[in-house]
Amino acid sequence: MTLAVTAVALLIGAVLGAIVAAAKLSGNRVLSFLGSVYTTVFRGVPELLIIYLIYFGGSTAVTAIGQAMGYEGFLGLPSFAAGALAVGIISGSYQAEVFRGAYLAVAKGELEAASAIGMSRALRFRRIIMPQVLRYALPGVGNVWQLSLKDSALISVTGLAELMRTSQVAAGSTRQYFLFFIVGGALYLVLTSLSDQVFDRAERRANRSMPSAMGQV
Amino acid sequence: MDIAFLSSTMVTLLKALPVTLALFALSVTIGCVLALVIVWMRVGGNRYLAAFAKGYIFVFRGSPLLIQMFLVFYGLAQFDFIRNGPLWPLLREPFVCAVLSLALCTGGYSAEIFRGGIRSVPPREIEAARAIGMSGFLLVRRIIAPIALRYALPAYSTEVVLMMKSTSLASLVTVWEVTGVAQRLISHTYRTMEVFLCAAVIYLVLNFIVLQAMALLEHVLSRHLRAAPPAAKV
Amino acid sequence: MPEVPRLSVRDIRKSFGSHEVLRGISLEARDGDVISLLGASGSGKSTFLRCINLLEVADGGEVWVDGEQIRMVQKGGRNRPASQKQVDHIRAELGMVFQSFNLWSHMTILQNVVEGPVHVLKRPRAECVEEAHALLRKVGIGDKADAYPAHLSGGQQQRAAIARALAMKPKVMLFDEPTSALDPELVGEVLRVMRALAEEGTTMLVVTHEMGFARNVSNRVAFMREGLVDSMGPPQEMFGAGASPAFRQFIGHFQA
Repeated sequence: MTLAVTAVALLIGAVLGAIVAAAKLSGNRVLSFLGSVYTTVFRGVPELLIIYLIYFGGSTAVTAIGQAMGYEGFLGLPSFAAGALAVGIISGSYQAEVFRGAYLAVAKGELEAASAIGMSRALRFRRIIMPQVLRYALPGVGNVWQLSLKDSALISVTGLAELMRTSQVAAGSTRQYFLFFIVGGALYLVLTSLSDQVFDRAERRANRSMPSAMGQV
Repeated sequence: MDIAFLSSTMVTLLKALPVTLALFALSVTIGCVLALVIVWMRVGGNRYLAAFAKGYIFVFRGSPLLIQMFLVFYGLAQFDFIRNGPLWPLLREPFVCAVLSLALCTGGYSAEIFRGGIRSVPPREIEAARAIGMSGFLLVRRIIAPIALRYALPAYSTEVVLMMKSTSLASLVTVWEVTGVAQRLISHTYRTMEVFLCAAVIYLVLNFIVLQAMALLEHVLSRHLRAAPPAAKV
Repeated sequence: MPEVPRLSVRDIRKSFGSHEVLRGISLEARDGDVISLLGASGSGKSTFLRCINLLEVADGGEVWVDGEQIRMVQKGGRNRPASQKQVDHIRAELGMVFQSFNLWSHMTILQNVVEGPVHVLKRPRAECVEEAHALLRKVGIGDKADAYPAHLSGGQQQRAAIARALAMKPKVMLFDEPTSALDPELVGEVLRVMRALAEEGTTMLVVTHEMGFARNVSNRVAFMREGLVDSMGPPQEMFGAGASPAFRQFIGHFQA
């Protein structure tokens, strides 16, 4: 469940991040201002508050829609959706910066070379920029994944039975707090170190065109 | 928008601000000292201390802060020897538990940041210091630490901002700081958006101040990297 | 009573892995000696210099500074200095000038120069600052005291580094290719400072590729080849008819 929430959150974050990064890079004043507001707010406000905002705020919104459609009473936002959305929004703000940095890292000269052989704007984006942005962004996305994995523990406050919540319930019912939180913590360690290795391997693959020293900054 | 509600919310939240600030200041200070000790173990040359420091960093960076905090708050209370021990009056306090786990956690992250700073000190400048007869603590104090601090500062200011946000987790072990009070207000009034707005403003202003202070420090420490001042007129 | 040499090095050996860089080098510098160490790159000149102040630890041999021997012990199958305190004290008596200056980038030029006297020798700051200004004037950058290293040209940085080494009032100055990292037009200003030091009677050991300096300033020239001193003598002899065939071939490359 932890992995599922984090994975969905990372996907939501990737889409949001790409949109926000594009807005910030667009050169349009209003769009880039909105992009900056997004990244500042969601990186500057505690994750827990954002989860409350989505969980409670989302439920209020769903209830309001329900009432408009004639349904009386309270409708809750499913905690999985609320959690994934909240963590996704947070990870989106971090991924936006990662993508923006990666885009800026693509050497100007290579773009000029692409224009010089007559590539169109769209072709340039698809053939030259995208593959390189992905390569430059990979370590950053790896970091965001680790961050999101740990943020996902906070979703336990909405009652979603992910790893954190499960350890909490087990600890509470058996009164073996220490044992279950240690086990829970150890499982997170397994998850984070496994994903570290996966990203390491992916990075090495993505960097195969680079001299070996480039991967390790 | 309901201005009266917003301002009363703001007042309620601001009353919890001292708790947030105390959590933040105490845990950053203790965490910083802890990080210095750990980084000293990590790079000090003793194999066992280095392994311990490595393990410490791995554990505290690899698991969620929330679980660490619960471990300290609920987990420790389970043991009789702690309940009967001399520290119990302290460890029973949620505030102390929150500070303790925040400090332990940032200790791990900061140690890694400081280590990065130390690794970026140019070996040549260290060699020059050795050549005039510096070694040990003198070398660290006069040459390595100032240069490493300068390199570590940008990453460390990010960590400090993360700490400001992490103080919110203390609400989950019943410390009534800003986020905890906000959550209580939300569940009483169901006016999520307004309460969120007020709390967000508080945190953004706090983080803005922290970042400005760090930027100022960075500015002071980077005189040597800026362009030469215009020659003084004699 | 015979005069105690300022610096005496006996049978220094050093290997990196299986590669034997120094195969037993001995050298003695008396008060006021200016010795130029010449040799092709890879002949071990810089390693030799770094073994003297223990920036590299030799595998064997002795180093004496002003009659004091650096004590070594065998530990874990390797040769090591017995006392870090003695090493620090010996290093303070040997001034080192590096190829790449190695000024501390976070300190001004003045701070670089007073750092050693104040914090290693523990002398009163005011006195050191005064001396530092005098030294900076002497090397011709009296107006750069408050600049940071990054704001200076290479030649100025190297002169500042020389002032930093002189501030320790060393018994011997070691120069490790002091002009090799400089643009050709900046070499002269550094050589002029070194020549002035030599004329004042400073004891100097200089690893260099500057044949003019070796010939005209130093009173002895040592030619290193394959980890050994191939030949050594006054410049008139070395550059004259008595030169060894290997040295003649070596300087032939420079004249070509």
